[in-house]
Amino acid sequence: FPVSADAPLAVLVDARCISGGSELLSLLRIRHHLQVHVCSLGSTDFIISNRTAVEWQSESEVSSAHNRRRLQERMQRLQATYERVCLIIQKDRTRPGETVRVFQRSRYYDSTLAALVTAGVRLLFSNGFEETATILTDLTQVEKRKGQAIQVPLEVKGHRQQALQFYLTLPNMSYICALNMSHRFSSISHMISSSVEDLQASACVSRSRAEEIYRCLRYSCDPVLINQTNQT
Amino acid sequence: MESKPVPAKLLNAAPPYGHIISHEKWRGSTLVQSFKGSVKMIFEEELGVVDFCLSNKTCVLYVSESDLVAGNGYRRKIVRFRNANSGLQAVVIVEKTRVSEQYFSALQKFVVLELGLTLLPVSTSAEAAQLIAQLVFGQSKENPFRRRTVSRLLDPLVLSLVQQIPGVGKVKAQLLLQTFPSILQLSRASVQELEPVVGPATAQHIRGFFHNQIT
Repeated sequence: FPVSADAPLAVLVDARCISGGSELLSLLRIRHHLQVHVCSLGSTDFIISNRTAVEWQSESEVSSAHNRRRLQERMQRLQATYERVCLIIQKDRTRPGETVRVFQRSRYYDSTLAALVTAGVRLLFSNGFEETATILTDLTQVEKRKGQAIQVPLEVKGHRQQALQFYLTLPNMSYICALNMSHRFSSISHMISSSVEDLQASACVSRSRAEEIYRCLRYSCDPVLINQTNQT
Repeated sequence: MESKPVPAKLLNAAPPYGHIISHEKWRGSTLVQSFKGSVKMIFEEELGVVDFCLSNKTCVLYVSESDLVAGNGYRRKIVRFRNANSGLQAVVIVEKTRVSEQYFSALQKFVVLELGLTLLPVSTSAEAAQLIAQLVFGQSKENPFRRRTVSRLLDPLVLSLVQQIPGVGKVKAQLLLQTFPSILQLSRASVQELEPVVGPATAQHIRGFFHNQIT
Protein backbone atom coordinates (compact mmCIF):
# COMPACT_ATOMS: atom_id res chain seq x y z
CA PHE A 1 0.00 0.00 0.00
CA PRO A 2 2.10 2.92 -1.14
CA VAL A 3 0.82 6.04 0.57
CA SER A 4 1.92 9.44 -0.64
CA ALA A 5 3.62 11.73 1.86
CA ASP A 6 0.79 14.26 1.74
CA ALA A 7 -1.99 11.71 2.28
CA PRO A 8 -4.23 12.89 5.12
CA LEU A 9 -3.49 11.48 8.56
CA ALA A 10 -5.96 8.73 9.39
CA VAL A 11 -7.49 7.98 12.77
CA LEU A 12 -10.11 5.52 13.96
CA VAL A 13 -12.66 6.72 16.48
CA ASP A 14 -14.86 4.54 18.64
CA ALA A 15 -18.59 4.99 18.11
CA ARG A 16 -19.04 5.74 21.82
CA CYS A 17 -17.22 9.04 21.27
CA ILE A 18 -19.99 10.45 19.07
CA SER A 19 -22.13 11.31 22.05
CA GLY A 20 -20.21 14.00 23.88
CA GLY A 21 -17.45 14.14 21.29
CA SER A 22 -19.05 15.37 18.09
CA GLU A 23 -17.39 18.74 18.56
CA LEU A 24 -14.02 17.02 18.78
CA LEU A 25 -14.65 14.97 15.63
CA SER A 26 -15.55 18.13 13.69
CA LEU A 27 -12.36 19.83 14.86
CA LEU A 28 -10.28 16.85 13.75
CA ARG A 29 -11.95 16.76 10.34
CA ILE A 30 -12.32 20.43 9.52
CA ARG A 31 -9.54 22.23 11.31
CA HIS A 32 -6.87 19.54 11.31
CA HIS A 33 -7.88 17.80 8.04
CA LEU A 34 -7.68 14.32 9.49
CA GLN A 35 -9.35 11.37 7.85
CA VAL A 36 -11.68 10.24 10.63
CA HIS A 37 -13.50 6.92 10.53
CA VAL A 38 -16.03 6.08 13.23
CA CYS A 39 -16.61 2.41 14.04
CA SER A 40 -16.85 0.10 17.01
CA LEU A 41 -13.32 -0.26 18.39
CA GLY A 42 -14.34 -2.08 21.54
CA SER A 43 -11.61 -1.30 24.01
CA THR A 44 -10.34 2.16 23.10
CA ASP A 45 -11.53 5.65 22.16
CA PHE A 46 -8.99 6.38 19.40
CA ILE A 47 -6.46 4.46 17.34
CA ILE A 48 -3.93 6.85 15.86
CA SER A 49 -1.32 4.47 14.46
CA ASN A 50 -0.48 0.81 14.01
CA ARG A 51 0.64 0.58 17.62
CA THR A 52 -0.98 3.39 19.61
CA ALA A 53 -4.33 3.64 21.35
CA VAL A 54 -5.54 6.85 22.95
CA GLU A 55 -8.05 6.87 25.76
CA TRP A 56 -9.91 10.08 26.47
CA GLN A 57 -11.35 10.91 29.91
CA SER A 58 -12.42 13.97 31.80
CA GLU A 59 -10.56 15.16 34.87
CA SER A 60 -13.59 14.35 37.02
CA GLU A 61 -13.77 10.77 35.66
CA VAL A 62 -10.11 10.15 36.48
CA SER A 63 -10.43 11.71 39.91
CA SER A 64 -13.59 9.87 40.90
CA ALA A 65 -12.99 6.74 42.93
CA HIS A 66 -16.30 5.36 41.59
CA ASN A 67 -14.62 4.93 38.21
CA ARG A 68 -11.62 3.15 39.65
CA ARG A 69 -12.52 -0.37 38.47
CA ARG A 70 -13.59 0.74 35.02
CA LEU A 71 -10.41 2.74 34.46
CA GLN A 72 -8.25 -0.13 35.71
CA GLU A 73 -9.95 -2.69 33.49
CA ARG A 74 -9.75 -0.47 30.42
CA MET A 75 -6.09 0.36 30.96
CA GLN A 76 -5.11 -3.26 31.55
CA ARG A 77 -6.97 -4.31 28.45
CA LEU A 78 -5.33 -1.58 26.37
CA GLN A 79 -1.87 -2.43 27.63
CA ALA A 80 -2.44 -6.06 26.66
CA THR A 81 -3.60 -5.10 23.16
CA TYR A 82 -1.51 -2.10 22.08
CA GLU A 83 2.22 -1.42 22.12
CA ARG A 84 1.61 2.14 23.28
CA VAL A 85 -1.18 3.58 25.37
CA CYS A 86 -1.92 7.28 25.89
CA LEU A 87 -4.49 8.86 28.15
CA ILE A 88 -5.75 12.38 27.51
CA ILE A 89 -7.19 13.93 30.65
CA GLN A 90 -9.47 16.80 29.68
CA LYS A 91 -10.67 19.52 32.01
CA ASP A 92 -14.40 19.43 32.63
CA ARG A 93 -16.36 21.98 30.69
CA THR A 94 -18.32 24.62 32.57
CA ARG A 95 -21.58 25.39 30.84
CA PRO A 96 -22.66 29.01 30.48
CA GLY A 97 -24.35 30.17 33.66
CA GLU A 98 -22.73 27.44 35.74
CA THR A 99 -20.41 28.47 38.51
CA VAL A 100 -16.83 27.46 37.80
CA ARG A 101 -16.12 24.34 39.79
CA VAL A 102 -12.71 24.41 41.33
CA PHE A 103 -11.01 21.11 40.76
CA GLN A 104 -10.19 19.65 44.14
CA ARG A 105 -7.06 17.66 43.69
CA SER A 106 -7.40 14.62 45.88
CA ARG A 107 -4.80 12.17 47.08
CA TYR A 108 -6.69 9.54 45.13
CA TYR A 109 -6.22 11.53 41.89
CA ASP A 110 -2.49 11.85 42.55
CA SER A 111 -2.10 8.16 43.36
CA THR A 112 -3.95 7.36 40.11
CA LEU A 113 -1.60 9.59 38.10
CA ALA A 114 1.44 8.06 39.82
CA ALA A 115 0.27 4.50 39.10
CA LEU A 116 -0.52 5.32 35.46
CA VAL A 117 2.94 6.84 34.95
CA THR A 118 4.65 3.86 36.56
CA ALA A 119 2.60 1.46 34.44
CA GLY A 120 3.94 3.14 31.29
CA VAL A 121 0.78 5.01 30.22
CA ARG A 122 1.58 8.33 28.52
CA LEU A 123 -0.44 11.10 30.10
CA LEU A 124 -1.51 14.24 28.29
CA PHE A 125 -3.47 17.09 29.81
CA SER A 126 -5.98 19.18 27.90
CA ASN A 127 -7.97 22.30 28.68
CA GLY A 128 -10.85 21.44 26.36
CA PHE A 129 -11.97 20.10 23.00
CA GLU A 130 -9.70 22.35 20.94
CA GLU A 131 -6.61 21.34 22.82
CA THR A 132 -7.59 17.66 22.75
CA ALA A 133 -7.94 17.88 18.95
CA THR A 134 -4.49 19.47 18.68
CA ILE A 135 -2.94 16.83 20.95
CA LEU A 136 -4.50 13.99 18.92
CA THR A 137 -3.24 15.53 15.68
CA ASP A 138 0.26 16.08 17.08
CA LEU A 139 0.39 12.50 18.36
CA THR A 140 -0.74 11.17 14.98
CA GLN A 141 1.94 13.23 13.24
CA VAL A 142 4.66 11.93 15.55
CA GLU A 143 3.55 8.36 14.84
CA LYS A 144 3.66 9.04 11.10
CA ARG A 145 7.23 10.36 11.42
CA LYS A 146 8.13 7.12 13.17
CA GLY A 147 6.71 5.08 10.29
CA GLN A 148 3.69 3.84 12.22
CA ALA A 149 0.91 5.70 10.38
CA ILE A 150 -2.29 3.86 9.48
CA GLN A 151 -1.94 3.06 5.80
CA VAL A 152 -4.86 0.83 4.89
CA PRO A 153 -8.38 1.89 3.85
CA LEU A 154 -10.47 2.38 6.97
CA GLU A 155 -13.71 0.94 5.66
CA VAL A 156 -14.32 -2.74 4.91
CA LYS A 157 -17.17 -4.53 3.19
CA GLY A 158 -18.34 -8.02 2.21
CA HIS A 159 -16.01 -10.96 2.71
CA ARG A 160 -13.29 -8.60 3.99
CA GLN A 161 -15.69 -7.67 6.82
CA GLN A 162 -16.04 -11.38 7.71
CA ALA A 163 -12.26 -11.75 7.69
CA LEU A 164 -11.94 -8.70 9.96
CA GLN A 165 -14.39 -10.19 12.48
CA PHE A 166 -12.48 -13.49 12.43
CA TYR A 167 -9.12 -11.74 12.99
CA LEU A 168 -10.59 -9.63 15.82
CA THR A 169 -11.36 -12.86 17.68
CA LEU A 170 -7.64 -13.78 17.81
CA PRO A 171 -5.93 -13.31 21.21
CA ASN A 172 -5.15 -9.69 22.22
CA MET A 173 -5.85 -8.47 18.70
CA SER A 174 -6.20 -4.74 18.19
CA TYR A 175 -8.70 -3.37 15.68
CA ILE A 176 -5.97 -1.78 13.56
CA CYS A 177 -3.88 -4.96 13.32
CA ALA A 178 -6.97 -6.97 12.32
CA LEU A 179 -7.77 -4.28 9.75
CA ASN A 180 -4.23 -4.44 8.38
CA MET A 181 -4.52 -8.21 8.00
CA SER A 182 -7.92 -7.96 6.31
CA HIS A 183 -6.30 -5.81 3.61
CA ARG A 184 -3.02 -7.64 3.20
CA PHE A 185 -4.00 -11.29 2.96
CA SER A 186 -5.73 -12.53 -0.18
CA SER A 187 -7.87 -15.00 1.79
CA ILE A 188 -8.37 -16.16 5.37
CA SER A 189 -6.54 -19.44 4.67
CA HIS A 190 -3.65 -17.36 3.28
CA MET A 191 -3.41 -15.64 6.66
CA ILE A 192 -3.73 -18.92 8.58
CA SER A 193 -0.87 -20.59 6.73
CA SER A 194 1.45 -17.57 6.92
CA SER A 195 4.83 -17.63 8.64
CA VAL A 196 5.50 -15.64 11.82
CA GLU A 197 7.51 -13.15 9.71
CA ASP A 198 4.62 -12.63 7.27
CA LEU A 199 2.16 -12.14 10.13
CA GLN A 200 4.48 -9.64 11.76
CA ALA A 201 4.89 -7.61 8.57
CA SER A 202 1.26 -7.74 7.43
CA ALA A 203 -0.44 -7.02 10.74
CA CYS A 204 2.30 -4.56 11.82
CA VAL A 205 2.78 -6.25 15.18
CA SER A 206 5.76 -7.18 17.33
CA ARG A 207 7.46 -10.53 16.96
CA SER A 208 5.97 -11.85 20.20
CA ARG A 209 2.42 -10.93 19.17
CA ALA A 210 2.91 -12.56 15.77
CA GLU A 211 4.12 -15.71 17.54
CA GLU A 212 1.04 -15.66 19.76
CA ILE A 213 -1.24 -15.55 16.68
CA TYR A 214 0.78 -18.27 14.97
CA ARG A 215 0.53 -20.56 18.00
CA CYS A 216 -3.20 -19.98 18.41
CA LEU A 217 -3.91 -20.99 14.81
CA ARG A 218 -2.00 -24.25 15.28
CA TYR A 219 -3.26 -25.06 18.75
CA SER A 220 -4.84 -28.51 18.93
CA CYS A 221 -7.98 -28.44 21.04
CA ASP A 222 -8.66 -31.05 23.65
CA PRO A 223 -11.94 -32.78 22.70
CA VAL A 224 -12.87 -33.16 26.38
CA LEU A 225 -12.40 -29.45 27.11
CA ILE A 226 -14.32 -28.48 23.99
CA ASN A 227 -17.30 -30.54 25.09
CA GLN A 228 -17.16 -29.13 28.60
CA THR A 229 -17.62 -25.67 27.14
CA ASN A 230 -21.02 -26.95 26.03
CA GLN A 231 -22.30 -27.36 29.56
CA THR A 232 -21.33 -23.91 30.81
CA MET B 1 27.02 27.47 34.26
CA GLU B 2 27.59 23.78 33.63
CA SER B 3 26.40 21.47 36.32
CA LYS B 4 28.74 18.76 37.48
CA PRO B 5 28.08 15.29 36.12
CA VAL B 6 25.97 13.13 38.40
CA PRO B 7 28.05 10.46 40.08
CA ALA B 8 26.87 7.08 38.91
CA LYS B 9 27.09 5.68 42.41
CA LEU B 10 24.41 8.03 43.66
CA LEU B 11 21.88 7.15 40.98
CA ASN B 12 22.43 3.47 41.58
CA ALA B 13 21.79 3.78 45.27
CA ALA B 14 18.04 3.83 45.87
CA PRO B 15 16.95 5.89 48.84
CA PRO B 16 15.40 3.81 51.63
CA TYR B 17 11.63 3.30 51.55
CA GLY B 18 9.68 6.48 52.33
CA HIS B 19 12.72 8.67 51.65
CA ILE B 20 13.69 10.80 48.71
CA ILE B 21 17.01 12.30 47.80
CA SER B 22 16.52 16.00 47.24
CA HIS B 23 18.85 18.53 45.68
CA GLU B 24 20.47 20.70 48.34
CA LYS B 25 18.89 23.85 46.88
CA TRP B 26 15.44 22.71 48.07
CA ARG B 27 16.43 22.76 51.75
CA GLY B 28 13.96 24.93 53.65
CA SER B 29 11.69 25.46 50.62
CA THR B 30 7.87 25.49 50.81
CA LEU B 31 7.81 22.33 48.72
CA VAL B 32 9.97 20.39 51.15
CA GLN B 33 8.02 21.78 54.10
CA SER B 34 4.78 20.60 52.45
CA PHE B 35 5.83 16.99 52.86
CA LYS B 36 5.10 17.48 56.56
CA GLY B 37 7.05 14.41 57.51
CA SER B 38 5.17 12.03 55.20
CA VAL B 39 8.35 11.61 53.17
CA LYS B 40 11.83 11.89 54.66
CA MET B 41 14.41 14.01 52.87
CA ILE B 42 18.04 13.26 52.27
CA PHE B 43 19.77 16.37 50.92
CA GLU B 44 22.53 15.99 48.40
CA GLU B 45 24.57 18.57 46.53
CA GLU B 46 25.81 16.35 43.74
CA LEU B 47 22.47 15.65 42.14
CA GLY B 48 23.27 17.43 38.85
CA VAL B 49 20.25 18.42 36.86
CA VAL B 50 17.87 16.25 38.95
CA ASP B 51 15.75 17.85 41.68
CA PHE B 52 14.46 14.70 43.40
CA CYS B 53 15.47 11.05 43.24
CA LEU B 54 12.67 8.76 44.36
CA SER B 55 14.34 5.42 43.89
CA ASN B 56 16.78 4.06 41.38
CA LYS B 57 13.96 4.11 38.84
CA THR B 58 12.35 7.55 39.09
CA CYS B 59 13.84 11.01 39.06
CA VAL B 60 12.04 14.33 39.03
CA LEU B 61 12.85 17.69 37.49
CA TYR B 62 10.82 20.63 38.75
CA VAL B 63 9.89 23.48 36.39
CA SER B 64 8.50 26.40 38.36
CA GLU B 65 6.13 29.12 37.26
CA SER B 66 9.02 31.60 37.09
CA ASP B 67 11.13 29.18 34.98
CA LEU B 68 8.31 29.12 32.43
CA VAL B 69 7.75 32.85 32.42
CA ALA B 70 11.49 33.61 32.18
CA GLY B 71 11.75 32.16 28.68
CA ASN B 72 12.92 29.02 26.95
CA GLY B 73 16.05 28.44 29.04
CA TYR B 74 14.40 25.55 30.88
CA ARG B 75 14.25 23.59 27.62
CA ARG B 76 18.00 22.99 27.58
CA LYS B 77 17.80 21.91 31.19
CA ILE B 78 15.08 19.38 30.34
CA VAL B 79 17.16 17.98 27.48
CA ARG B 80 20.16 17.59 29.81
CA PHE B 81 17.84 15.99 32.37
CA ARG B 82 16.71 13.47 29.78
CA ASN B 83 20.21 12.69 28.54
CA ALA B 84 21.55 12.20 32.07
CA ASN B 85 18.76 9.82 33.04
CA SER B 86 18.22 7.47 30.13
CA GLY B 87 16.96 4.16 31.41
CA LEU B 88 15.25 5.78 34.38
CA GLN B 89 11.67 6.95 34.71
CA ALA B 90 12.20 10.66 34.16
CA VAL B 91 9.32 12.83 35.34
CA VAL B 92 9.01 16.58 34.78
CA ILE B 93 6.68 18.32 37.23
CA VAL B 94 5.54 21.75 36.08
CA GLU B 95 3.80 24.56 37.94
CA LYS B 96 0.77 25.29 35.81
CA THR B 97 -0.75 28.41 37.31
CA ARG B 98 -2.93 31.18 35.96
CA VAL B 99 0.24 33.01 34.99
CA SER B 100 2.07 30.09 33.40
CA GLU B 101 -0.78 28.09 31.82
CA GLN B 102 -0.38 29.86 28.49
CA TYR B 103 3.02 28.18 28.14
CA PHE B 104 1.77 24.74 29.13
CA SER B 105 0.68 23.24 25.81
CA ALA B 106 3.96 24.16 24.08
CA LEU B 107 5.86 22.67 27.02
CA GLN B 108 3.76 19.51 26.91
CA LYS B 109 4.38 19.08 23.19
CA PHE B 110 8.12 19.48 23.77
CA VAL B 111 8.45 17.25 26.84
CA VAL B 112 6.01 14.45 26.01
CA LEU B 113 5.89 14.31 22.22
CA GLU B 114 9.40 15.35 21.29
CA LEU B 115 11.45 14.07 24.22
CA GLY B 116 9.23 11.18 25.31
CA LEU B 117 9.31 12.10 29.01
CA THR B 118 6.46 12.28 31.48
CA LEU B 119 5.00 15.69 32.31
CA LEU B 120 2.70 16.25 35.28
CA PRO B 121 1.14 19.65 36.02
CA VAL B 122 0.53 20.96 39.55
CA SER B 123 -0.71 24.39 40.57
CA THR B 124 1.18 24.88 43.82
CA SER B 125 4.26 23.46 45.48
CA ALA B 126 1.98 21.86 48.09
CA GLU B 127 0.28 19.94 45.26
CA ALA B 128 3.69 18.95 43.97
CA ALA B 129 4.59 17.53 47.38
CA GLN B 130 1.38 15.48 47.48
CA LEU B 131 2.02 14.14 43.98
CA ILE B 132 5.65 13.26 44.71
CA ALA B 133 4.57 11.51 47.92
CA GLN B 134 2.16 9.36 45.85
CA LEU B 135 4.97 8.53 43.42
CA VAL B 136 7.05 7.43 46.42
CA PHE B 137 4.39 5.34 48.15
CA GLY B 138 2.93 3.93 44.94
CA GLN B 139 6.13 2.01 44.38
CA SER B 140 5.40 -0.36 47.21
CA LYS B 141 1.83 -1.11 46.14
CA GLU B 142 0.76 -3.43 43.41
CA ASN B 143 0.14 -1.31 40.32
CA PRO B 144 -3.52 -1.68 39.28
CA PHE B 145 -2.86 -0.44 35.73
CA ARG B 146 -0.02 -2.72 34.79
CA ARG B 147 -0.63 -5.33 32.16
CA ARG B 148 -1.40 -8.69 33.73
CA THR B 149 -0.09 -11.69 31.93
CA VAL B 150 -2.76 -14.29 32.37
CA SER B 151 -2.15 -17.51 30.53
CA ARG B 152 -5.55 -18.19 29.12
CA LEU B 153 -6.72 -21.57 28.00
CA LEU B 154 -6.81 -21.50 24.21
CA ASP B 155 -9.64 -24.04 23.77
CA PRO B 156 -12.55 -21.62 24.32
CA LEU B 157 -10.81 -19.05 22.12
CA VAL B 158 -10.43 -21.51 19.23
CA LEU B 159 -14.07 -22.47 19.69
CA SER B 160 -15.16 -18.84 19.32
CA LEU B 161 -12.93 -18.45 16.24
CA VAL B 162 -14.73 -21.37 14.57
CA GLN B 163 -18.07 -19.75 15.43
CA GLN B 164 -17.09 -16.73 13.35
CA ILE B 165 -17.76 -18.85 10.26
CA PRO B 166 -21.26 -17.94 8.99
CA GLY B 167 -23.69 -20.80 9.59
CA VAL B 168 -21.56 -22.40 12.28
CA GLY B 169 -22.93 -22.21 15.81
CA LYS B 170 -21.58 -23.70 18.99
CA VAL B 171 -22.74 -27.26 18.34
CA LYS B 172 -21.27 -27.46 14.84
CA ALA B 173 -18.08 -25.76 16.03
CA GLN B 174 -17.65 -28.44 18.69
CA LEU B 175 -18.29 -31.23 16.19
CA LEU B 176 -15.78 -29.73 13.77
CA LEU B 177 -13.06 -29.44 16.41
CA GLN B 178 -13.49 -33.15 17.30
CA THR B 179 -12.36 -34.05 13.79
CA PHE B 180 -10.17 -31.04 12.93
CA PRO B 181 -8.68 -29.98 16.29
CA SER B 182 -6.89 -26.82 15.10
CA ILE B 183 -7.80 -23.81 12.96
CA LEU B 184 -5.01 -24.72 10.55
CA GLN B 185 -6.35 -28.26 10.07
CA LEU B 186 -9.92 -27.02 9.71
CA SER B 187 -8.89 -24.45 7.09
CA ARG B 188 -7.21 -27.19 5.04
CA ALA B 189 -10.13 -29.64 5.15
CA SER B 190 -11.79 -30.39 1.80
CA VAL B 191 -15.56 -30.26 1.23
CA GLN B 192 -15.54 -34.08 1.08
CA GLU B 193 -13.87 -34.27 4.50
CA LEU B 194 -16.22 -31.66 6.01
CA GLU B 195 -19.49 -33.11 4.65
CA PRO B 196 -19.81 -36.12 7.02
CA VAL B 197 -19.46 -33.75 10.03
CA VAL B 198 -21.71 -30.81 9.16
CA GLY B 199 -23.57 -31.74 5.96
CA PRO B 200 -23.04 -30.51 2.40
CA ALA B 201 -24.34 -26.92 2.70
CA THR B 202 -22.26 -25.91 5.74
CA ALA B 203 -19.26 -27.78 4.28
CA GLN B 204 -19.42 -25.46 1.25
CA HIS B 205 -19.76 -22.41 3.53
CA ILE B 206 -16.73 -23.37 5.56
CA ARG B 207 -14.58 -24.05 2.51
CA GLY B 208 -15.66 -20.73 0.98
CA PHE B 209 -15.06 -18.82 4.22
CA PHE B 210 -11.43 -19.87 4.31
CA HIS B 211 -10.61 -19.88 0.62
CA ASN B 212 -12.69 -17.21 -1.11
CA GLN B 213 -10.48 -14.43 -2.40
CA ILE B 214 -10.81 -11.12 -0.57
CA THR B 215 -11.15 -8.48 -3.22
